[in-house]
Amino acid sequence: MESNVMTVPQMNPKSKFNLKKAGKVLLSLALAAYAIIQVYPLFWLLLFSFKDNNEIFGGNVLGLPEIWRWSNYTSALTTGDVGIYFINSIIVTAVTILLSSVMLAATSYAIVRMYWKLNNLFLTYFLIGLMVPIHATLLPLFVILRNMHMLNTYWSLIIPYVAFALPMGIFILTGFLNSIPRELEEAACIDGCSIYKIFGKIIIPLLRPALATVAIFTYMNTWNELMFANTFINSEKLKTLTVGIMSLAGQHTTDWGPIGAGLVIATIPTLLIYVLLSDQVQKSLIVGSVKG
Amino acid sequence: MKRVTKMIVSTLLAASLAVGLSACGNSSGTNSSSGGKNNNTAPKEEKITLSFWGISTAEPEKSEMEKIIKEWNDNNPNIQIEYSGTENNAYKTKIKTAIAAGEAPDIMYSWTGGFAQPFVEAGKILNLDEYLTDETKDQMLPGALDNITYDGKVYGITYGQMAGALYVNTELFDQYQVKIPTTFSELMTAVDTFNQNGVKPMITGMKDLWPGMWIYDMIALRESGSQLSLDALNGKASFTDPAFVNAADKIQQLVNAGAFGNGILGMTQDEAEAEFNQGKVAMLFGGNWMASKMESDSSMVKGKIKAVRFPASEDGKGDPTEYVGGGSDAMLVSADTKYKEQAVKAATYLAKAQAEQGYLSGINLPTWKYDSLDQSQINPLAKEIMDNIITGAVGSVPVWDIYLNGADAKTHQDLVAEVFANQITPEQFGAQMQDKVNGN
Amino acid sequence: MQKLLGDKKAIFLFVFPTFLVFTIIIILPIFFSGYYSLLEWDGFSNGKFIGFGNYVDLFVNNTDGFTKGVKNSIVLAIVSVGIQLPLSLLLALILARGVKFEKLYRTVYFIPVIISTVVIGQLWMKIYHPNYGMLNIILNKIGLGFLANEWLGNTQTALGAVFVALLWQYVGYHMLLMYASAKSISTEIYEAAKIDGANEPTLALKITIPLMKPILRVCVVFSVIGSFKAFDLIYVLTNGGPLHATEVPTTIMYTSIFAKYQYGYGSAMAIFIIVECLVATVIIQRMFGKDPVN
Repeated sequence: MESNVMTVPQMNPKSKFNLKKAGKVLLSLALAAYAIIQVYPLFWLLLFSFKDNNEIFGGNVLGLPEIWRWSNYTSALTTGDVGIYFINSIIVTAVTILLSSVMLAATSYAIVRMYWKLNNLFLTYFLIGLMVPIHATLLPLFVILRNMHMLNTYWSLIIPYVAFALPMGIFILTGFLNSIPRELEEAACIDGCSIYKIFGKIIIPLLRPALATVAIFTYMNTWNELMFANTFINSEKLKTLTVGIMSLAGQHTTDWGPIGAGLVIATIPTLLIYVLLSDQVQKSLIVGSVKG
Repeated sequence: MKRVTKMIVSTLLAASLAVGLSACGNSSGTNSSSGGKNNNTAPKEEKITLSFWGISTAEPEKSEMEKIIKEWNDNNPNIQIEYSGTENNAYKTKIKTAIAAGEAPDIMYSWTGGFAQPFVEAGKILNLDEYLTDETKDQMLPGALDNITYDGKVYGITYGQMAGALYVNTELFDQYQVKIPTTFSELMTAVDTFNQNGVKPMITGMKDLWPGMWIYDMIALRESGSQLSLDALNGKASFTDPAFVNAADKIQQLVNAGAFGNGILGMTQDEAEAEFNQGKVAMLFGGNWMASKMESDSSMVKGKIKAVRFPASEDGKGDPTEYVGGGSDAMLVSADTKYKEQAVKAATYLAKAQAEQGYLSGINLPTWKYDSLDQSQINPLAKEIMDNIITGAVGSVPVWDIYLNGADAKTHQDLVAEVFANQITPEQFGAQMQDKVNGN
Repeated sequence: MQKLLGDKKAIFLFVFPTFLVFTIIIILPIFFSGYYSLLEWDGFSNGKFIGFGNYVDLFVNNTDGFTKGVKNSIVLAIVSVGIQLPLSLLLALILARGVKFEKLYRTVYFIPVIISTVVIGQLWMKIYHPNYGMLNIILNKIGLGFLANEWLGNTQTALGAVFVALLWQYVGYHMLLMYASAKSISTEIYEAAKIDGANEPTLALKITIPLMKPILRVCVVFSVIGSFKAFDLIYVLTNGGPLHATEVPTTIMYTSIFAKYQYGYGSAMAIFIIVECLVATVIIQRMFGKDPVN
């Protein structure tokens, strides 16, 4: 829209201003409309979580629930030990993000900035991880984890989650590092820094926006993962939240309402983390651009 | 370059050594976490723990299971059952992976027939012939162990059986004065009458594939009789037999008469049942477990549904009392368990207790004798199915996706879907079944 | 600096732990799968070595319509790169240049990515439902009732319907990556260009997009690999049906391994998917040109 404005050469300033304003309004409308489309699933999930099967399947698909069935939330919260599931999910996710972030930053830095012959080869090697269809790894991983005596522990989830977070993270971080000028590090070096100091004091802060972005993705993959969490964990005390919610599905028939309620409960932290981390992205980006 | 290859290979080798490269690992015995601490303090009778995996995760099954296990654990302080429940679909993946890796629990839930067959054939499941006493077998209904018997040997203890029933919405039948069909032509008449009045005659969730297959297998049984159906499934008779072709033809007659309305292929069984339970559909053919939802408080058809036998085929060879179903839920014991005797005893207890609990709540029809149960507490529709469909039946055939093994079961489901979609003729259906399932 | 950055001990320390975890958890299973793919094996009994028999079944005999699944996934990759990424890029550029409610939009546009696929699947099933689905209701209301369809149940429309849901779900994903990159471009560059009289689209084309090249490459690679590996939403929405119209390599693989007890055969598909992705990645990297590593 704005391009039209600019390509008309002989426009008096006032009408140019108006046209530009109209373009802005149209743009705002389009952005708002798209926002409504994108937020709708959340709204729909919220309504869904108060309905019963009759309403969900045809009786009242889109409207407000006839009765606000808080009982869906009660059954979601009382089937199994949701509190423990929640804590388990938090432990597994937090450790996964911490471990993977440190490993990612170090490895990506070494690949992009440090001088050794094999960096490109290693980059390609790690990228293979992106390509593995996860379902085919289930049995081999089960065998590997058993032989490492890790089955039915937090580690049986954390280690695979970290491993599967690596390829994507390395890909994003190396791309990011490539677009950052290296003057900052060189300036630091003149001051006589050790490599570890450069990494800790300069690289990690520089990578913060990218690390936060990767953390969002890692968080989502970990928090929502079902297949490993179902297969590698037997003990009720170690189950994660997503597994607990899906356990509400019955053998033959499923009450979808409580599952919806459970999913609302599981989505709230995701939303919070996302807002928090993307603010982090934003802040560090602004700081970064002032410096650069 | 060489150095890299060498480094990668050596790391791989080291890693393989560290984790051991064998898939079908030797059963390390870690599966039964025996209460090691108590070994010293109680030397006379060792306290053992049996791991048990099942699929009771949602209510009310979950609480019932907990109650059943607590009762056992209270009565058997030295043999404790440790239960781990996994959601139905995830369980299929989990149990297969665990068994393949040699990490099966001591006792496990399994579907019978083709689902358990590969485990049994690979020697992963304990043969129960020397453990099951006549006293135990006498408490079970005749034929209860048929679907978990392979090569004449019993590998599990069933507790639940399935039966297909035609659920009819009596309110709609009364309103439009339609006779509840007892023959296929009456069924076609009913379909026409309901269609003329703008009521959806039948519904099925073909997206899940098995619901339509249930209808086909039922009609095939009416056309062929249980012996011919079983012979064909065992490769002793051909699916090109007119009985199986006619059954496919009848499916297409129903589809073409608009019996299922539009949108069959894209609908899940959850959606189909919800529509039936809203009172919008006249008939639903399906498994006994659907009764519990129909009789639940949120159902709009509560008390209005009758479960009847599927209509007979006028020209069919099958007896009108035969039904599709059969023992489907079973307890298996791992061949690797350290405590064979105790595990079988516990599995037997679990099966019997679940048979009773399941019947009372309307989830399962028992494969155990149930005379001692308080009949008044039983879900009325479940009782109707037990009394009107199973009792007095001259035979039954398991639904085919349970009887056949994995790949053949999938082939059968796919072919039936193609019949529903009018993509293949009944003759092609018979020929392809014979070609792909019986391999000639 | 040279010396510091060539510190072999530091490089080892930075790379080896990652290398070890990655090798054991991801590369080792690929070797397992590669070995399984040469067996006729149900996962339980003793496998029979059949060489490349499974691969022959996949492509020469085309036993399970695997080639059609591959074709579907390639179509998905093309529409992802051709429709989804441009849309993500457009949104990212607009948001990054600063609009009112930038932060709100950035959050809201990402929502479909963070909601569980189970829910997204249920939602689209409601949209596409033949009787009470939103899409048919809208079509009927605006007088286009003749277009109403059994979207997921019709072999002609199911693939398109699934693709629309898939493309929509991940627009926000790529937007976030591109946004972070666009936002990190120094504002001084823009100021300088603006003084020279460049308008916004020119700015985007001449300055922002070229500077975003590394992240754009990342997005294209993710998008293509993601398409080749797409599974979750397809599994929920159609599970490859109706009548196999929406099968992709992963759904066929999943069915083979976990429903049909064809572990060896399914592993061959896994190996194929890896090779397919590898080839695609190499081609994409070539098209974008080498990054100046070092």
